[in-house]
Amino acid sequence: MTLNAKRYVVAILSVFFLAALLLVAYQESRRHRIEAGETPVITGANKGCIDCHRKDAPALVQEWEISRHAQLGVGCIDCHSAQKTDIDAWQHEGVYISALVTPIDCAKCHSREYDEFSKSHHARAGEILASLDNVLAEKVAGKPGNIADAVNGCWQCHGAIVKFARDDNGEILRTGKENKPVIDPNTWPNSGMGRLNPDGSKGSCHACHSRHAFQAKLSRSPENCGKCHMGPDHPQIEIYNESKHGIAFYANRDRMALDKDGDWVLGRDYSAAPTCATCHISSYMTPQGIAVGNSHDVGERISWTLRPVISTKLNLVIYEDGFKEDYPEGRALPAIGDKVKTIEKFVENEKLVNREVERAVAKIITWKDRRESMKGVCLNCHNDTYVDNFYKQYDDLVTLYNDKFARPAQQFMNELLADGALKADAPFEHDLQWIFYELWHHEGRRARHGASMMGPDYTHWHGMYEVSKHFYTEFLPEVVKTAELKSPALKAKYQRKIEEFLTQDEHLWLMGLSPKEAEALRSSYKQRYNQ
Amino acid sequence: MEESKPLNRRQWLASLLAGAGILLSYGLLGVQGALFLMPQRTGVKKRKLFAGNIDQYEVGKVRQFYDLQGKVILVKRDESGFKAFSSRCPHLGCSVHWEEENSRFFCPCHNGVFDPSGKAIAGPPGDAGQRLDEVVVTVDETSGVVYIEVDDVSVGGKV
Amino acid sequence: MRSPRKIVTSLKEMFPFDWELLRHAGAEPVPYHLKKWWFCLGGTVLYLFIVQVITGIALTFYYVPSAEYAYQTVATITHEIRFGWFIRSLHKWSANFMIVAVLLHMLRVFLTGAYRHPRQLNWLIGVALLLTTVTFGFTGYSLIFQQQSFWGATVACNLAEAIPLIGSTVAYFLRGGPVVGENTLTRFYILHIGVLPTVMFILLALHILLIRLQGVTELRFEGESVTAEQSHFRFWPDHVTTELAIGVLLMYILTIFALVFPAGLGEPADPAVTPAHIKPEWFFYFNFRLLKMTSLKVSVVATMLIMGGIFFWPFIEQWLSRKFKLSEIFTVVIGVIVFLLFLVLTVWESLA
Repeated sequence: MTLNAKRYVVAILSVFFLAALLLVAYQESRRHRIEAGETPVITGANKGCIDCHRKDAPALVQEWEISRHAQLGVGCIDCHSAQKTDIDAWQHEGVYISALVTPIDCAKCHSREYDEFSKSHHARAGEILASLDNVLAEKVAGKPGNIADAVNGCWQCHGAIVKFARDDNGEILRTGKENKPVIDPNTWPNSGMGRLNPDGSKGSCHACHSRHAFQAKLSRSPENCGKCHMGPDHPQIEIYNESKHGIAFYANRDRMALDKDGDWVLGRDYSAAPTCATCHISSYMTPQGIAVGNSHDVGERISWTLRPVISTKLNLVIYEDGFKEDYPEGRALPAIGDKVKTIEKFVENEKLVNREVERAVAKIITWKDRRESMKGVCLNCHNDTYVDNFYKQYDDLVTLYNDKFARPAQQFMNELLADGALKADAPFEHDLQWIFYELWHHEGRRARHGASMMGPDYTHWHGMYEVSKHFYTEFLPEVVKTAELKSPALKAKYQRKIEEFLTQDEHLWLMGLSPKEAEALRSSYKQRYNQ
Repeated sequence: MEESKPLNRRQWLASLLAGAGILLSYGLLGVQGALFLMPQRTGVKKRKLFAGNIDQYEVGKVRQFYDLQGKVILVKRDESGFKAFSSRCPHLGCSVHWEEENSRFFCPCHNGVFDPSGKAIAGPPGDAGQRLDEVVVTVDETSGVVYIEVDDVSVGGKV
Repeated sequence: MRSPRKIVTSLKEMFPFDWELLRHAGAEPVPYHLKKWWFCLGGTVLYLFIVQVITGIALTFYYVPSAEYAYQTVATITHEIRFGWFIRSLHKWSANFMIVAVLLHMLRVFLTGAYRHPRQLNWLIGVALLLTTVTFGFTGYSLIFQQQSFWGATVACNLAEAIPLIGSTVAYFLRGGPVVGENTLTRFYILHIGVLPTVMFILLALHILLIRLQGVTELRFEGESVTAEQSHFRFWPDHVTTELAIGVLLMYILTIFALVFPAGLGEPADPAVTPAHIKPEWFFYFNFRLLKMTSLKVSVVATMLIMGGIFFWPFIEQWLSRKFKLSEIFTVVIGVIVFLLFLVLTVWESLA
């Protein structure tokens, strides 16, 4: 190559280089524009919504603006868009939308979370709609034509079956110039955890992830769960607040990294205290240095059920389609591959119905496995002796409640039913039924929940103390009274039964303490009050 | 071995092109490098706040809004359009208000007077030739929404 | 008003340098074969090194070598500072290309036998330059203080521990303690921006000085007929223009790489969590693969033996050929085998 040709080569190459540098400069300026702009990215599809709704509901738009969604350009239409054929859709300013955002809408992006959540107990919270509790709200507290207690109470946590107002022909009523479908006001607004949506999905994501800001810190905070997990029948939040865990949390809220983007891992991102989410849902470190992925199946790490009259440990059967079923300990487990008939609840014609589905067993998780995954959380702070001994203390309390009170009480109830003193279709006819209900549903649960989450006062004074007081002074006398209502012979039968029952070792204290025990008590009081 | 001779015209052109190319490209690289080293002014981020709808404004009247620090912003509509000002008097920081009947902003602390364009015309700020701090107002033509641009000090959502 | 000529004369008096010397150096005849790009790889390395020095100095304006701020400042450079991503990407790609160019340059010198008497000394300096370059790459990568580079440094220091006799002392010194951490970072930083550049400058100066003193090896290829007129050309302006063209071409390629594959940033270093897959920079892949195939001790000793062999090759070859009367093709075969081995191990590891 001649020198002159080389000069041309230099000239041409430098033009290429210059062009590349101009590209760099363009890239830089584009990057800058993105960063310098308003934090929320308002895409063309959403601009129309936002311009208008900033007038109607400015705070709502502002809430959205601080969300992670907004920063990533996920706006109104991305969640609220609907198909023309959707039951809840109408054409709003030219676009088919729906007010109701269901888990299926969220699953467009968050499919893993949807899969986990939809198989969880949380998603099935709406299935309580055919339970004793609902009888209390709809019948006992409510009256024909007004079920406001169920609507404002039960359903706001458990979820409603979302329905539409219909005319006599069953057609959905529509209103306004846009023909917006009229939603049954009893069923909406509703952010209940197990809401039964018109699209067939179960649950509501914003029960925990409040719209429209969707802040992670909200769902990681204990107060979030405390909306529902509180009160006389299951005071989880009160127990948490009483426990060492809750105390540590409130004192160290600023060290909890509640705002962290992405996975929130105990032992990596924070250490001050566990919240509800920490133990039941979130990721944690293990000795292998691996963070266990967070799970939206809230029951995954729970080994006891503390809900029913008598607690049992829970094995879990997972079917090939992902459906999960708890098997109380004692119920024979199927083998992997077995075809099993399962009962699943569906909404059909706006009513909850049972449907039998045959499913193949894919996987079995024993209560021990579930406990191990919970222990993994504990072991981030405690050693295994500590954790094992805690579980011993907890197991003993549940067993004590089960054996001394729950089983005998259930037994008496069953017998009275068999003897015709109680009616199966009148669950709240007699005082006895109320006493029994509170015994397990309120007091017994308080005791068990108290022990499960280290709340001593709830275990004893709100729990076992009430259980035993009411068992001896109200439940047993009421058993006799209820029998008497049927016949004197039945009264005598139950008097005999109870007399015999009280001769068991654990009830002997009723007849008085032994001389030795009485002396010990006397001297302890003397010492205490310095007499 | 080639001998060095005086350059002819074609060689001149080639050298010029090569030289210019080298100079321009490395020059641009140099500029980009210098920009990398130059510290950036870290201005406070601005964000738009909703300040009502155009229908809610009357010509010659002022509406009040709060910015994200809770300070009052005065938004005024006149024949020529919208203007917005911080209500903070540039003299000693008292609160300025709009006097509709006099078509002026007035500061009661030391009788500061500002004309509708925000320029001080009497009182201590007038003597010092000060102005009210102007706030950017934009109107979205399609929706008629009025926005004011204020310092973004909002928290939450993002850390 | 003084004439421009007078001003120039006056300036020349102020700086009494023998300008004729420069003209003389510029007129150094360059052998014909240097018109081929293949033979300009040494100059390519020098050019990339200059890019490294300039972008490196620019990056030190913002980088803070502490465990607390290292990652954060790299992130700031990458995401916030104007053209930060570009400067950082140039630095990264130029470093990678530099290692490639060094290896190719070495291969060329080896295959053409340019290291033979009287140029053995320059071969030794060249191998030292290779080691310096690789150390540059290693320390620089560690400075990012992201998960991969943190654990890469940890593994490398553990490798150093396996060097016979002095291993544990070397590793302890490198880390500035028993584990990779705050001290390691400052050590690597000082190596990367202070010690290594100084060593590099001295070695490069010696390397180039020796080339100029000894002249470039003159090569003649079979079947080529080169007239006496064409056999050499001038350093200035002819060879300089070639280098200029190469320089612009390199800058173009670097810029395109920076645009298409900008330097990324992984998770911040976390001493508590070892990532599932650790990989060093690609130029350590052969070593990493060796480590997986054999034991720690064997792989370290093998690497040291191979490096020693390469380092002393001019003398080993002399000794061998005196003893066994080997033909020249033997050296070529050895060179090709070693290079292919390197390639195979590197590719194998990168696919693993």
